[in-house]
Amino acid sequence: MPGSDQYDECRAADGTVRPAWKSLVSSLDELGPAGISKASNEIERLVRESGANFQFSDIIKQSARPWKLAAIPLVLSAREWQSIEAGLKQRLRLLEAILGDLLGEQKLLKARVLPAELLSANYNYFRVYHELPQTKPRLDITATDLARNKDGTWWVTGDRTRAPSGLGYALENRVITSRVFQKLLRGNNVVRVASFFSSLQQHLNSLAAGNPENPRVAILTPGQHSYRYIEDAYLARYLGYTMVQGRDLAVRGSRLNLKTLGGLLPIDVLCRHISDRKSDPLELKPSSQQGATGLLQTIRSGHVAVANSIGSTLAQMPALMPFLPAASKFLFGEEPSLPSIGTYWCGGQSERTFVLENLDELILRPAFHVSPAPPIVPAEMTTAEKSKLIDQIKAQPHSYVAQYRPSRSTTPVWHEGKLESWHVALRSFQVQTASGVEVMPGGLARVSPDPRTLDQSPASGRLGLDCWIANDKPVDQEITLLRQSHSSITLARGGAEMPSRVGESLFWLGRSAERSESIARLLRATLIRIAGETQLQDIVELPRMVAALAALGQLEPDHAIAGLGEKLPSLEKVLPASLFDTEKPGGLLAGIRDMGQKAMSVHDRVSLDAYRIIKKIGDHLITNDQSDAIEIGAVINRLDGIVTDLQAFSGLASESMTRTHGWRFLELGRRIERAYQTAELLSAMLVNPIDDEYPVLESILQTTDSMMTYRSRYLLQMQPTAVIDLLVNDETNPRSIGYQLLMIDQHLRELPSDDHEVSLGTEEKMAREVLHRVTMSDPSKLAQANTRGVRVSLNELLAKLTDSLPDLSDAIAARYLIHTGATVELTGRMAPMASRSGTGVSGPIIPKLPNVE
Amino acid sequence: MFPVRLSQSYPTLSNSLSESASYRISHRTDYRYESAVAICQNQLRMMPHSIDSPCFSMQCHKAETTISPEPTFFENHFDYFRNQVTSFSIELLHRELTVSVLSEVTVSRKQSVMKLDSPPWEVVRQRITNGENPNWLEAQEYLYDSPRIQRNARFARYAASSFPSGRPVLQATFDLTKRIHQDFRYDSAATDVNTTTDAAFDLKAGVCQDFAHVQIACLRSIGIPARYVSGYLRTIPLEGQPRLVGADESHAWISVYTGEKWGWVSFDPTNACVSDINHIPICTGRDYSEVSPMRGVVIGGGSTQLSVSVDVAPLSRPAEQSRL
Repeated sequence: MPGSDQYDECRAADGTVRPAWKSLVSSLDELGPAGISKASNEIERLVRESGANFQFSDIIKQSARPWKLAAIPLVLSAREWQSIEAGLKQRLRLLEAILGDLLGEQKLLKARVLPAELLSANYNYFRVYHELPQTKPRLDITATDLARNKDGTWWVTGDRTRAPSGLGYALENRVITSRVFQKLLRGNNVVRVASFFSSLQQHLNSLAAGNPENPRVAILTPGQHSYRYIEDAYLARYLGYTMVQGRDLAVRGSRLNLKTLGGLLPIDVLCRHISDRKSDPLELKPSSQQGATGLLQTIRSGHVAVANSIGSTLAQMPALMPFLPAASKFLFGEEPSLPSIGTYWCGGQSERTFVLENLDELILRPAFHVSPAPPIVPAEMTTAEKSKLIDQIKAQPHSYVAQYRPSRSTTPVWHEGKLESWHVALRSFQVQTASGVEVMPGGLARVSPDPRTLDQSPASGRLGLDCWIANDKPVDQEITLLRQSHSSITLARGGAEMPSRVGESLFWLGRSAERSESIARLLRATLIRIAGETQLQDIVELPRMVAALAALGQLEPDHAIAGLGEKLPSLEKVLPASLFDTEKPGGLLAGIRDMGQKAMSVHDRVSLDAYRIIKKIGDHLITNDQSDAIEIGAVINRLDGIVTDLQAFSGLASESMTRTHGWRFLELGRRIERAYQTAELLSAMLVNPIDDEYPVLESILQTTDSMMTYRSRYLLQMQPTAVIDLLVNDETNPRSIGYQLLMIDQHLRELPSDDHEVSLGTEEKMAREVLHRVTMSDPSKLAQANTRGVRVSLNELLAKLTDSLPDLSDAIAARYLIHTGATVELTGRMAPMASRSGTGVSGPIIPKLPNVE
Repeated sequence: MFPVRLSQSYPTLSNSLSESASYRISHRTDYRYESAVAICQNQLRMMPHSIDSPCFSMQCHKAETTISPEPTFFENHFDYFRNQVTSFSIELLHRELTVSVLSEVTVSRKQSVMKLDSPPWEVVRQRITNGENPNWLEAQEYLYDSPRIQRNARFARYAASSFPSGRPVLQATFDLTKRIHQDFRYDSAATDVNTTTDAAFDLKAGVCQDFAHVQIACLRSIGIPARYVSGYLRTIPLEGQPRLVGADESHAWISVYTGEKWGWVSFDPTNACVSDINHIPICTGRDYSEVSPMRGVVIGGGSTQLSVSVDVAPLSRPAEQSRL
């Protein structure tokens, strides 16, 4: 626990509440423990639901929000903030000037204000940074990490000038806190952050060359597996920008473009959240796929503005920190008002000597880049480790800086029902516009009971806090980010702007959702039979149903082999357990997991309601209680929930999604999968009919949700011909194969065709062909069995479908979804070509299992 | 182990040749793709440009780049090291790509390098470190690690016997150049374009690129700035001269910083000689990665066949002054 000599944010040394906190503290007193706990739970729920924390805990391992949000904010008085703000503005101007000098005249090096080795020995410094025009300040968005000393002064522990993370979380923290503490926020006169984001948005828009009214601004995220992904999606949605990944981009001529289903659309401003080094495989790191080949050329041509400028990573190197006061004097004749934490660059002779003599009091970090890894702590090392470290420092002195650990103030945290005092780290954010520097009022605060964990990385710490700047007087009205342009808006319909990658994810989302629903229905129907009073061996349809489950990939194929007799008892265990089987690639759990992943990869395109449903579907499969997992009744309940929620998801898609190409791909995926699953089901259950087919037919109708339709037409009569007609030929039944094929054909017609083709595309021909086969088939002929008891015609038709549908899926993907071919690097010297495969299609693979004979 | 080298005399070019020579250089690169390429984006560093230094100068009379099929996009700029860079893209389906650079240059030797007085190597090093050399900032850029070259104690130890205390930097570097030539086997099968400098040093074998990387690593490891030079050699030697190794393709050698008086002086470790009027420099950088003649990314294409031909023909008199 913190000692008494720490600065406490809330209370002065004599225990009195600091003025900025008075209103909040009295409100918290009014709320009482019960009220704070309630608010705390509410915040937790909002964080969970906001979509920024979209994960199925143990089922889907996703990049998650690094911290939960604590209820009690950090409060700073507006007067104190003013001086911090002035220091932050001054620091950003200084960093901008230093960067400009390093990539320009290098006066600082010539005058030896900065050691030349900060560049020449710097592995992170690429000379190509010099070859880009400077049309704007290089540092658009920056962040500064702050810690408060025991005497109440602040110091800077690090700078982020490349693409600072945390802005999205800071925004989200405020959005959530203000929902729960609406009145408190007003009562405390908390300065709003919306105007900062509005400035940021205006600034990014203003960077577009030629000042178009409606510039296309894209946020380039490193990808789904990056810790940046969630907040990038959040930020993109809030600012109204398109979130893109490297493979959504294509350079043509001297322009950067977004690859969409409707063709290539030029991008004016790229807000990149990838590293400088990875931004262009042609001129920088060759193997990177996060950036765009030729990006630097487009910057040289002046058609695209990149924020922050390529090369801005240099301004955040820790080795710069000890030289800032001298640089500030040299360039501006002034001292920085915000000091940096004591930092020593080991490349200097005397600094190195000092560091080696005082190793135990210091922590070490890389000198030239900001590392996500925890610092080296010599005090925690063995003698042998320490002497190895000393050798390393002596061999590569330029590559190390040593720093003092900052002392950090404490602030009240509501933790497990009581107030505790935790240490705090604050990250502030700045935007540099044409008219100057604007600082976000507040920032992203992290807290931890152990101050050392806060030094580890910008994502470390136990909880996140909102940070309030409390004014004496009421603050301005709210600013919203809705476009308030004076010119009239051009009405637009359709969604040609959608990146092709998004189409691909929605296509597979549709397939996974449908696949999960088919399996869940069949599994439920099977379990209901097993749970009944009938002896297992007397359930005549059971072997057929098990065969169908195997065909769909939920069970091992050997369960489907005829002569099920001795295997029957084990079904009571195997079937319920299969629900939780994480190993089976074609199973229900895999399908639901895949849904989650696909929805995640189009995070900025799927509504929050849809997320909640997908999350809920996953929740049905989370269990810590293994005994519950194999209890049939409980499993049936879970399946009921899954089926209901899957239907809610498809209902949401059909009712709430606009009929854009995105929706069409979701639908195409769903229709192809349903046609395929139905064909597999009928093939397993009907091709080799048993003597009394009544229960088999009934189970088919239950599984396909067609019982009510059937009963309304035929009452209690159960005829194979009628069942086959309803599920294969009847184009008015939304569950029939014929209906799916008709829909596929219609959707394909609506998709854009880029070339001036007169004839049908490959995928259209394939879709028409299977549709024709189904339309021309005769239900009564399909129902006929030959002398050996096999329905030959039905088998042929279903085999044709199960063969053709995967090919159709591939053809659609090839035509619309995969714009990126494999890329090959060329080198001048004769050598075998290193070829890299492009990103292939992902998603569930339709298992091809043999029909049961 | 490697086979004992056939006895051969080192070409002592500098003392027996005329003071300048003119060449017509033709450098043709052909790519043939198995399947059609939809888009290719490339950067070329193949264009000579005029150079002047205390010991050596080159005048570029003419340099033409021809690309087939015709590029959709084409742009020239100078990079940080003052090399001329051509960027181009081809955005229509193609199965073949040809890049030809035709140039005419005159190279002149201004000093007979090995007859020059040069400062002891430690003095060169010291005057950079303490900033007494007015060009220290530019020189020290070539002192540290670069993408393909990491300094270490092994290189320093290898260099040590050529750099006894007080030896003039030119003599010491020439000695190192000859030792690398002696100790390393020229073998194009031993390494490829991505072989690291460390691996080439272990193998004691490689091609001009590896020889140059090793020598640069040695020089930097003892604190002497060194850089990488790409270029060409005259194809047919003068009578009585051995044919130079590497004459039928792009060549590479090194340039060492010898102090403010003589500046950068080039040596060719592959041929154990001072770079002279048989050498035509094209680009300089810290190592191969910064001067590779052609860098590109193609989409599609399948497997690729590459052929390169370089012809460096002497001109009887300098070409007309039709510089581009």
